[in-house]
This record gives sequence, C-alpha cells and structure tokens, in this order.
Amino acid sequence: MYNEVFDKKTPRKAYQDIITWANSLPYNTLIKKKAEAENLFKKIGITFSVYNNFDSSERLIPFDMFPRIITKLEWLEIQDGVTQRALAINAFLRDIYNKCEIVKAKKIPADLIYMNPAYEIKMVGVKVPHNIYSPIIGTDIIRTDIKSFKVLEDNCRTPSGVSYMIENREIMMRMFPELFEKNNIEPVENYSSYLNDTLKSLAPKKCDNDPKIVILTPGPLNSAYYEHSYLADTMGVELVQGSDLIVEKNITYMRTTQGMQKVDIIYRRIDDDFIDPISFNENSVIGVPGLFHSYKSGYVNICSAPGSGIADDKAIYAYMPEIIRFYLGEEPKLSGIKTWRCSKTADKNYVLNHLDKLVVKEVHGSGGYGMLIGNSASKSKLNVFKKKISNNPNNYIAQPILDLSSVPIFKNKSLSPRHVDLRPFTLIGNRKRKLVPGGLTRVALKEGSLVVNSSQGGGVKDTWVLKN
Amino acid sequence: MLSRTAENLYWTARYIERADSIARLLEVAYRIHLIPNTSEGYLNEWESILSAAGIKESYLNNYKEISKNKIEYFLLFDPNNSSSVKACIESARNNLKMVRTAVTLEVWNTVNTWYHEIDKYDTEKYDTKNLPMTLDWIKKQVNLIKGTINNTQLINDGFDFIYLGIFYERADFTARIIDVKYYILLPSSSYVGTQVDNFQWSIMLRSVSAYRGFKWAYGNSQIDYTKIIDFLILSELCPRSIFYALDKIQHHLGRLTKFYKSDNKAHRNIKAIHRGLINSSADEIIEFGLHEFLTKFIDDMSTTYSDLEEVYFLGIDK
Amino acid sequence: MIIKINYKTTYKFTSHVPRLVQSLNIYPTECKNQKLIDCDIRASQGKLEENPVDALGHKTFNIYIKNLVEPQTITMKSTVETKDYSGVLKGLNESVHPSCFLRQSNLTKPNTKIINLVKNTNKKDSVEFCHRLNNAAADSIMYLSGSTNIFTSAINAIEQGSGVCQDFSHILISLARLHNFPARYVNGFLLDDSEIAENDTHAWVEIYINNLGWVGFDPCHKRCINDTYIRVGCGYDFSYTPMIKGVKSNYNGEEYMSKELVVQAQSSQ
Repeated sequence: MYNEVFDKKTPRKAYQDIITWANSLPYNTLIKKKAEAENLFKKIGITFSVYNNFDSSERLIPFDMFPRIITKLEWLEIQDGVTQRALAINAFLRDIYNKCEIVKAKKIPADLIYMNPAYEIKMVGVKVPHNIYSPIIGTDIIRTDIKSFKVLEDNCRTPSGVSYMIENREIMMRMFPELFEKNNIEPVENYSSYLNDTLKSLAPKKCDNDPKIVILTPGPLNSAYYEHSYLADTMGVELVQGSDLIVEKNITYMRTTQGMQKVDIIYRRIDDDFIDPISFNENSVIGVPGLFHSYKSGYVNICSAPGSGIADDKAIYAYMPEIIRFYLGEEPKLSGIKTWRCSKTADKNYVLNHLDKLVVKEVHGSGGYGMLIGNSASKSKLNVFKKKISNNPNNYIAQPILDLSSVPIFKNKSLSPRHVDLRPFTLIGNRKRKLVPGGLTRVALKEGSLVVNSSQGGGVKDTWVLKN
Repeated sequence: MLSRTAENLYWTARYIERADSIARLLEVAYRIHLIPNTSEGYLNEWESILSAAGIKESYLNNYKEISKNKIEYFLLFDPNNSSSVKACIESARNNLKMVRTAVTLEVWNTVNTWYHEIDKYDTEKYDTKNLPMTLDWIKKQVNLIKGTINNTQLINDGFDFIYLGIFYERADFTARIIDVKYYILLPSSSYVGTQVDNFQWSIMLRSVSAYRGFKWAYGNSQIDYTKIIDFLILSELCPRSIFYALDKIQHHLGRLTKFYKSDNKAHRNIKAIHRGLINSSADEIIEFGLHEFLTKFIDDMSTTYSDLEEVYFLGIDK
Repeated sequence: MIIKINYKTTYKFTSHVPRLVQSLNIYPTECKNQKLIDCDIRASQGKLEENPVDALGHKTFNIYIKNLVEPQTITMKSTVETKDYSGVLKGLNESVHPSCFLRQSNLTKPNTKIINLVKNTNKKDSVEFCHRLNNAAADSIMYLSGSTNIFTSAINAIEQGSGVCQDFSHILISLARLHNFPARYVNGFLLDDSEIAENDTHAWVEIYINNLGWVGFDPCHKRCINDTYIRVGCGYDFSYTPMIKGVKSNYNGEEYMSKELVVQAQSSQ
C-alpha cells in the first residue's frame, strides 16, 4: 500500500507541516473541533439521504479533519489527464451519435455501442449545441504507488460531490485559519462561477438573449439535493423541479410570479429516463412533458445531453485508451485499470476462476452497489456472484483488487491510515475548459476497507492542491 | 421568482406563525392552571383551548378524556396531531428546504436549528414541568427567526411573500379565536357580559399576547365586549388585530404590484376588505352579528387567497 | 395501389384537465414503398407543432393544451400510393444503425419455449431462414382478439398460447434477435378483408437482412408485407411506438378512449 503521507516513518515533504500540526493538537481540542465541524455541517444543512429498505433519512456525511495534500507537480499530471479524457469523451459521444467513425475504423466493437442499453437511439443525428454532450465530468482517480495516478471511473452524466469539495474547504478555513496562512493552497471557491460560464457558453440555437440557466432537481428527497441547491445559490440561478417547467409550442418556460419565463439552458440532475414522460419513461412524475422535443427543436439545451451515459459505461471504460488515441491522436496521459469484460467468454472464464482476487462490478451500477470485492467476500457471496455472472455475463466487468493509497484520519488519540480516492471536476464549454485545482477526496472510514462511497460508510476530506 | 418559491416561502411563514399561535394558546392554558379555583373549573377551559385551536375533534379521536397533561402533549408533540407545534415546525422547515436558496443562510440556520432542537424537548415521557421552558424556547425561536428575516433578508419579492404568509395566518387565527370565543365557548348569549364572559375574554386577550396592550389602550377599565371587538378587530395599535394584519397584507401586496409593475385582483380585493374595516365600528359589527361578520371575513380572505394563488403561485400566462 | 385511410381517436375526460401534452406519431412513412398523395392531421383542441424528423424517419407532432374540458379528437386522413418490393423497405431516410435492434427489450425477452420454437437453425439462406422464423412465430400462438393487453410480453403471450398482432410480432422479434438478426416492431394500417380483420391499427415486424435491408414480415398473417400495408412507425417493441402518447398534469379523473378506422382501396379510374 502506498502511504501518501509517510515514507516509512518520516513524513513526506508536502505533509511535514501538517503532521507537526496534527501531533501538536491536544486531544480535547480535537474533540471540540470535531463537534464544531459536525455542528456546522448540520446547521448549513449539508446532509445526504441514504436509500435503503428502512428509511430515507438525512445523515451527515462524515468529515475527517486531516487534509489530503496534492503537490503542484502531481496536480499538473492529474489536470492534463482528466482534461484529455473529458475532451475525448465529448468527441466520442458526438461521433457515436452521428457518423460512428470509431466503429467503422474498428477501434471499438460495434455491439458495445449499438447493443448498449445506454446508447440512446433517440439521440442519433440530434444537433447538440456546440457539440458538447457532457460539459461536467467527474473523474475518479486512485493511486497505487508513488509514480502514477490511475483513472478508476469516468462520471459524465450528473457527477455529484462538488459541493462537498467547496464546503469541506469552507469548514476547514473556519476552524483552522492558521493552516491557510502558512500553506500555499489553491482556492476552490471559483467552481460555481466557472460552471456558470461553462453552461452559459452552451446556449442553444434559438436563444438570442442572455441565456437563462436553471438547475433541474428531482427534489428534496434526492440524495444530492443539498448540492443542487448549493450550486443554484452560488451560481445565482433558479433551482427548479419538473413541475416548475412547462413546454408550450416546443418552447420551455418556467412558472414564475410574473408568469411564464423562457428557459434556455437546463443543468439537469435527473436521469435520462425521467426527464420527459412524453419521450422517455411515461411514468416519470419528476420530468417535463415535451422537454425532449423542445431540446431537439433547438429551443433549450439539456446538460448533459441525454444518452451521454454510454461514455461512462464500465464496458466502454476498457476502450478509453483507444478512444483518446482515435479522436485526439495522443497517448493517454493517465492510465486506466486492467478490465475483464465478462461478455467475452475468455474474460468470463478468467473472472470465474479468479473471483477471490478480483473486484466485480455491474456494468451499469454506481455508488458501490452491486459490487463484489473478492478477497473479503464470504464463500456464499462468491457463489452468488458466480451464478449472477454465469447467468448474465454482459452485465459484469472485473478488475484487479487495487491497493488504494492511504491518508490518515484522526482516530481516537492518534492518526490511522485509511484508503482514499480523488474526484476532480472538469468543465468543458464552448471553446472553454476549466478545472478547479482540487477535488473531492473520499475516504473509507473502516480500517482496511476499499469502498469509499458515502452511501457505503465512506467519508470526505478537504483536498489541498499546493501552489508550489 | 419561481412560483413554487413564492408559494413555499408563504407557507413556511404561515407555519412559523401557526407554531407561535399554538404556543401562545398553551401558555394561556398554563396560566389558567395557576389561577386557583375559578367558578367554572379548569377542565372546561382546557377544552376551550382545544376548540380554539380547532382540533378538539381530532383530540377526542385519540384520547377519551380531557386531561391537561394529554392536551399539552397533543398540542406540542403528538405525532397523531398534524397541527402540533412540532408538526408546524417540521412543515415550515420542509417548505423552506425546498427553496433553501431563497433565504439567507442565517434564516435557514435559525429555522433548521429550531427543527433539529425541538426533539430535545420532546422527551420520551412527556413531563408537564417542562412546559414553561418549552414554550419560552418556541417563542424565542420564532422571534429569532422573524428578527433574522428582518435583519438579513433582501427586502425583495420573497420578503413580501414571507410577510403575506405571516399576516394571512395571523388574520385567520385571530378571527377564528374570537369566533370560537363567542360561538362555541359561551353557553348562551345570555352570558354576554357576565363574569364568565369577562374571564374568558381576558384569557383570549392573553392568547394573542394583547392583555397588557388592551389595558394600555383603554386604561384600566373593565373588559367589555365592544372594547374587545374594537381592539382585536379594528385597532391599529394591536399587532394581533385583524385590521393590523390586513394593513400589512395590503402593504406587501402593494409592494408586489409595484415590484412587478402590474396590479391584480388579489390586491384590489384586499384593498376593498381593508377599506371595509376602516369604515366599520364595533357597534356596527355587533349589530351585523359578530359570528356573521367573522364568517364573512374568513370567506373573503379565502377568496383573496385563491386570487393570490392564481396571480402568483400558478405562474401560467392567461 | 392507392389506399385511403381515415383514422380517428377520441379522448373523453370526466373532469377538466389542467394540462395535456400529446405527441402524435401517425404520419405515414415517406419512402419508395409509400407515396403520400395527401395527408391531413387534425386535433379538435390545441395546435399541432411539427417536431424535427427523428433518426428513424418519424415525422411527429406535439400538442400542448391547458384547461381542457371538451373531448380531444385526433384525426388523420391520408391517401397513399403503395408499391410492393417483395416486402423490402426502400428509400427511408434513417440513420440508426440496424445493430441497435439486436438488443432484446422488455417485451421481447425470450424464454425456453420461444427458444425451442425453431429447431432448424441452418442460416445459409437468410431470407429462407427468416421466413422459417416468421412461420414459427405464426404457428406459436392462436389468434384471439382481446386476449392480451398493452403490457403483454412475448413470454406472457407464448405462455397463455394466444394473442393479437402485437404478440405475434413480439415473438417474431424475440426469435430474430435470438438468431442475431436485427428486428423491430412496426405499426401501421392494413387493407384487410379477411376474417381476422381488426378494425384497428396493425403491427408487424421488420427484420434486417444483409444485402437486402429491412424486410417486412407479418407473422399474424404468415407472410411478407405487400402493397396493402401502410407503415407508420417503428421501435424496439410495442411500448416504443405508440401512435398517440399523452401526459396529463395534475389530473385525477378518468379518461375514455375510442377509435375509428377505415382503410379502403381507391378504385383506379
């Protein structure tokens, strides 16, 4: 395991000050600060909802006060790598919904696109404003050794977590201002204005005014509702629900105290299937009837475009190096992780025979649900997965069990290492790219655990990118 | 502003005001309890509190007997009572959560804290000893919220919708409480002006926190029917009077019509009701019939609410 | 052949509908097999908004109505000159890759009974093989009007042993996809004077055969399509191709629908 903070017993350079600080912190101060932080989170209302069979109550996302530090050099590597991926993903989406050159060039198997449930045939040939399908991409990055960062997953539908990135910083600055005087830390609070600029650059064809942006949320019961309202607030745009929007004559409006007002750009945080009961799932009550036709008619832009999800499909993931080479003519700057696709017989057999050494994921799953970590699973769970994979191989991929790098958390009176990942957020606008220096560091709070998802007992940390 | 935002702000404010009203009612009950041995016995008065809050039926569906302890619990916390103080706080907070960004962080914090902390008072076994402390805390929070709204909110259309909510609720509550007093509480009209009547009036005045105010406004004279009607319905001095609430509603609707540069029937109809109150006297109301007057008033207000809904909360062009 | 279609659907509501959005996919396909001499689509309430033609060649219209009290009647009258190319669809401007229709959808998933319908899997002659599939589907269930509903899947139909054109089509699609032939659900109208004539729209299947393109098979009538068929729309299965789709907002009442359809050959003069 790569320890990001300690090289054997000595702290690495970037962490020296913070280790000194952490060690000098009296235990009772720590307890007090921890309570204070929790109180702040609770007061501001940063909660997330957990869906299970029993309740969907609001919980606080556990916050650990020991920061995660990324040096400038490390950041440049990440920045170049994720930007490259984001550009390639958008080029890929444009291609597969139009000319499909990558398939014709046989760089990717046709079935993987055409038979993919995430490939939306309603989007074929649709004119997408400025050809940007997925303007906001969250890339999950892990580190297994000192040399390199690796991409674990791309999230190009509606990645969440960016509000935690900003609020974690806010809270750290309030509690430990002295840390920020000493260290040269890149600010992250510009994200909202970058997002606003990015979306604004993506006005649809039939918009000749200053574009009106709204954020479309499923509502307060959604697990990321706090984030939706945070972004709307800091961007100065309306947070709307499906019922606030109406389409008339294929033009999209919102209902206001002054009557109907035209809407030009929708940053939607609703899944494809639910955005419009006329064109998609007719049982959706959180969508807007007629919205997709309004979109196709060029009156409104929907970000991300319906059908973008295919680009973060776990089966497509294995082809990302090819995708980058094909569209950008460059070598991938960040490597990916060896992936077995169970839809291929040879791969499936390998996976079935090495189940205890692999992580198995559902192709369309997310949030750490429906996942198997072979080495820590019980015999019966392994058998369940064996059956599942045999019955429906197309639905599974497998990857080696990766030893994620670690950063310590405050545990009782000492520091104790825990596995982490990193999710930076790339913004792709019309001839604009922006990346806030920072990201969301998720941490597995259980000792030895590799699952960092907040829905599965993960926590978060403030992430510092150093200026030099 | 989004129509839904306006509507949610309006209802947030109504629920905050309602929680406050119920807490004040309970305080009245508590005071009665401290006054030794009234001629009618206190159970009757406890029952009257339920009537005044409009939840007697719902209480009797849940409990067989009128008991001080149970009524307190019912009004404050009982999950079976959809208009308990706790339920009001929850509704206020949930409405506000939907439009979290329409208020300042400070306003949200006060409401959210109120919501999270009410549980501290809702102990496993209800203890009546905690009542004064609980009521104090609830009222203090309401004042804190209103103060925070005044001090931190932008004085824009959202501010007006909040105040419309507060004063629609107040007008409604005051009208209801006067009506209950005369229509339900007094055994028959022959009791008007008797000791029972006057005693009940002093309770009602207290319930709207106007007992002292009344004494100041009318000198230390005997409480009498006409003066009370004048004070609770027509006075511009009493912050709980119907006229005062109407005056504020008219003010905020007027601001909205200026803000949006278009007049509408909600504003026109409120102006008409307001004018009607200015031109009324307590004697005229008594002659018309207090109950009839209040019923008409409540009806008129509900019509203006429909107007408000149509003009601002639906958000659809005609 | 020249065919006249007169299609009418009426929706009645028990109380006022605050908002109704409808999408009409009833414009007959324009391609070499079908020349539209005229086509008139009307709605008794609301105005038709024409949508951009989609990648499957559908020309659709949306209607946005508020405060609907009266019944809504949609009519489509059209005169179409049809031509038979031995069942092959020609000249449709579409851009969706045929392989997209290899994926089984909810209503077409096979079970063992469906898998076992075709024993001889010799695919040397694709056309002949597809006819074999069509015949197998045709013989798999009994035609029984009203025996199924809009939620009936291929599996449901084969289990109960009966169905209507929609169910025959789902079984054929299931079979074709199973054998790696892209297949899609097609709805439209049929000039029909046979016993099993339905006074309703008809459904059949298009199977993609290399070097030929999309070929129409009608398992319900155990044949390839010809110039008595008028094609309107296509999709993965029945649920993707409604002729009229409507969404009501804030409505709690009931809805009643009635359909009238006349398909006639115009005597050549």
